[in-house]
Amino acid sequence: MTTTLERETRPVQPKRVNEIRVMVGGQGGDGTLTVISLLARCLKLIGLHTYDARNVLSRIRGGHADGVLRGSVNRVLCSGDALDALVAFDEEAVEVGSPLLEADGVVIFDSSRGPLKKRLPPGVQVYQSKLSDLAGTQLKKTLLKNTISFAILSRALGLKQELVERVVRERYQRKGGEVLEGNMAALQIGFRLADEIGVAAHYSIPEGAENGSLQVVGDEAIGIGFIVGGGRFYAGYPITPASEVLDYLSVNLPKFGGAAIQAEDEISAINMAIGAAVAGVRSMTATSGPGQDLMTEGLGQAAEAEIPVVIVDVQRSGPSTGMPTKHEQSDLNHVVFAGHGDFPRLVIAPADVTDCFYLTIDALNLAEKYQLPVFILIDQALAQNSQSVPPFDLSKVRVERGKLLSQTELDSLPVYKRYEFSSDGISRRTVPGMSGGFSQITGNEHNEWGMVSVNTENREKMMRKRMLKVELAKTEMPRARFYGSQDAKIGFVSFGSNVGPILEAMDILAAKNLPTKFLLVRSLHPLHEDELAQFLDSVDTAFVVECNLSGQLAGLIRREVGFANKIFGINRFDGHSFRPHEIAQRVLEELGPKTGGNSRNA
Amino acid sequence: MPETFPVATPIWCPGCGDFGVLAALKKALAELRIPPKDTIIVGGIGCSGHIHNDIQVYGYHSLHGRLLTTATAVKLANPRLTVIAAGGDGDGYAIGGNHFLHALRRNPSIVYLVMNNGTYGLTKGQPSPTAQIGFEGTKEIPFEPVLMALSLRSSTFVARGFSGNQTQLVRLIKEAIEHESQGKGFAFLDVLSPCVTYNDTYAEWRKAVVDLNADPDFDNTNRSKSFQHILETIVSGRIPTGLLYRGEGASFERNVLLPGSEPMALQDISPERNLESYKKLLQKFA
Repeated sequence: MTTTLERETRPVQPKRVNEIRVMVGGQGGDGTLTVISLLARCLKLIGLHTYDARNVLSRIRGGHADGVLRGSVNRVLCSGDALDALVAFDEEAVEVGSPLLEADGVVIFDSSRGPLKKRLPPGVQVYQSKLSDLAGTQLKKTLLKNTISFAILSRALGLKQELVERVVRERYQRKGGEVLEGNMAALQIGFRLADEIGVAAHYSIPEGAENGSLQVVGDEAIGIGFIVGGGRFYAGYPITPASEVLDYLSVNLPKFGGAAIQAEDEISAINMAIGAAVAGVRSMTATSGPGQDLMTEGLGQAAEAEIPVVIVDVQRSGPSTGMPTKHEQSDLNHVVFAGHGDFPRLVIAPADVTDCFYLTIDALNLAEKYQLPVFILIDQALAQNSQSVPPFDLSKVRVERGKLLSQTELDSLPVYKRYEFSSDGISRRTVPGMSGGFSQITGNEHNEWGMVSVNTENREKMMRKRMLKVELAKTEMPRARFYGSQDAKIGFVSFGSNVGPILEAMDILAAKNLPTKFLLVRSLHPLHEDELAQFLDSVDTAFVVECNLSGQLAGLIRREVGFANKIFGINRFDGHSFRPHEIAQRVLEELGPKTGGNSRNA
Repeated sequence: MPETFPVATPIWCPGCGDFGVLAALKKALAELRIPPKDTIIVGGIGCSGHIHNDIQVYGYHSLHGRLLTTATAVKLANPRLTVIAAGGDGDGYAIGGNHFLHALRRNPSIVYLVMNNGTYGLTKGQPSPTAQIGFEGTKEIPFEPVLMALSLRSSTFVARGFSGNQTQLVRLIKEAIEHESQGKGFAFLDVLSPCVTYNDTYAEWRKAVVDLNADPDFDNTNRSKSFQHILETIVSGRIPTGLLYRGEGASFERNVLLPGSEPMALQDISPERNLESYKKLLQKFA
């Protein structure tokens, strides 16, 4: 076997760490994400919390792809700022990953296409070997380079060999046969190679008992929440980064007598969700920006006809096709304002995977209680990156169906009108199949019976009836989360997955004696003006952090709450989520010597 | 029993073909003794889409062109319901064309009644995809829905009626509803239903219609022969009517739903009911 060492391996003392950050990069199809998920499993089994992020292109094979895994004794909500180790299957991966490497970091490089050209700082330890060639000659399958690299990586991270073997065995057990044998053989080749080239344990990771957490991505948590919350009908059209919702529910809904339908387009998807809801089933659809555009007519229909439906929007880089696999938070204006006419809707913004589960159940309850469309707005990072979360508490789950009548309740009524005026704007609802519950459900303006009407007095009453529901639902919409010290004069306001990098930026700033606080908004429509006004009133400067160019959340707050002169935008729209140091840096620039601040957005 | 909505008086012009469709539909439902409480009519947008207001059953007025996707999901949610989608030719063959194609492909057990008059009456007479060449200056070759339906190998029921022939229309609607109720799939019935105001084709169509079921040489169980027969009839300037094709195939709901499961709409979804299975969902991620 040929081994090329770029420089001599040095004797190292394993560094004791409380967290470890690893990137695995190569071309799409290299199996980089497999290595990440194997490592995530190892770290979970020794009691660490994990967060993994992916960076892929919109193509099946080829193009740079990488995954980043962060394991920590504490719960983490972002990939952080730096890397301890980098597994690179090509030169490009080193270009991408090396700027983030710690000065004493480790690189494992597949030199099958030639030795590493990139010059790295002297403190960085590089282990390189022809991993693909080795996998090809010894295992007849070059892809197994990923499992070989995993063995080498595990040595560098100081992980026990038996743990690594257990994780690989468990992962391929079900496939068995050649797949299992091939991967187990690849591991052994990797371990032997590590011995040969003298891979040392660079890190000592604290080992504890498995902590019972779940490793889930946001899309899946929404899928689980949907089923547990009584959802039985889902329709969607494949679209990145929302496809995991469709995939999860396609496998799991049928087990509960439900169905996940792949529609011919998003217009069909939302109308299917509406159809199932009309028949009395809790239903949902999920999409991303381009599909959201097509769903807009269905949104107005659900609102006008008062049909409970949940719509998940997983934001990606727009407009148009934009950058399909890339992160952004630029659909906020769309979900809050889209559609012709004035109509009620609710917009909930989960910020982490735990929220994705519980708030999906809330969304189902709100949709049915208030008989209107409810958006769940998340972003690519939250949708597709996996987080360690405490197990979801099933005892907290409630199914509240509002004014959906039982047959007995219906039997006792002298008159049944689908859109009957009431003090709370909510009318009793029947479903087809009930005796005596005939109703006309329509997207035309209608009278209380559901018959088309252009009567002026009726029109005004119906419009007010529908809008009233938003005001009442507001009392049940999720409140913001508050972090930091009450008396800080510098504040952050944000939503979605920015919570991770902002919390760490706050730590960085605190270490520089700059106390900050943070309001994480989780109800985007209606906004809880009270909590925002109180927060904005209490700070000198509020940094509104969001992944879009125009400052959509900042604009919404200025419009609904005010405080325009205190609001500064920190915006990123290059397809990636924020890193903690970058947020801290922008704050320091803005507050530092009065240079005029290039991030000023007000 | 509570008092429910007062059945509306149709909005159609005197003499509109849709009166014939409404009369035939009422008669068919009554003769088949379909319980009104288990019936839902999903209407489209346009004159014909008002039909659901005119019968005492459950009614849903869908978005323009979206009645089939809505009706498909209603059926999946509760296969015990009799689901009738009813709309116009602009609704179904223009703006809803994609959904028509996919309904034919999926074969859900729903009835689809298209009141076909070749024009957009509510917007004052623009040509629809089925408008005859020359109507309002159109030069486009008319869309032929029954040929399209036949061309999808998954279609199981393709028919055409004429609102001027009640006896035939009642028979076809009854056969369509039976196909639906027996879970055999998508019962597509295009009904020639003239617009007396903007495209009065009564006299023309009365002369041109031919009941293929009266032709002993016509075999409506053979897809390719039926296709050829219909195409030749159209090319010769006549309009084929009758039950044009009847085949067999698994319905969408049968393909999608767990056999023997309680309809989704009737399930008890309280969390306690499924706690053990929910726990298993979480274990996957532990």
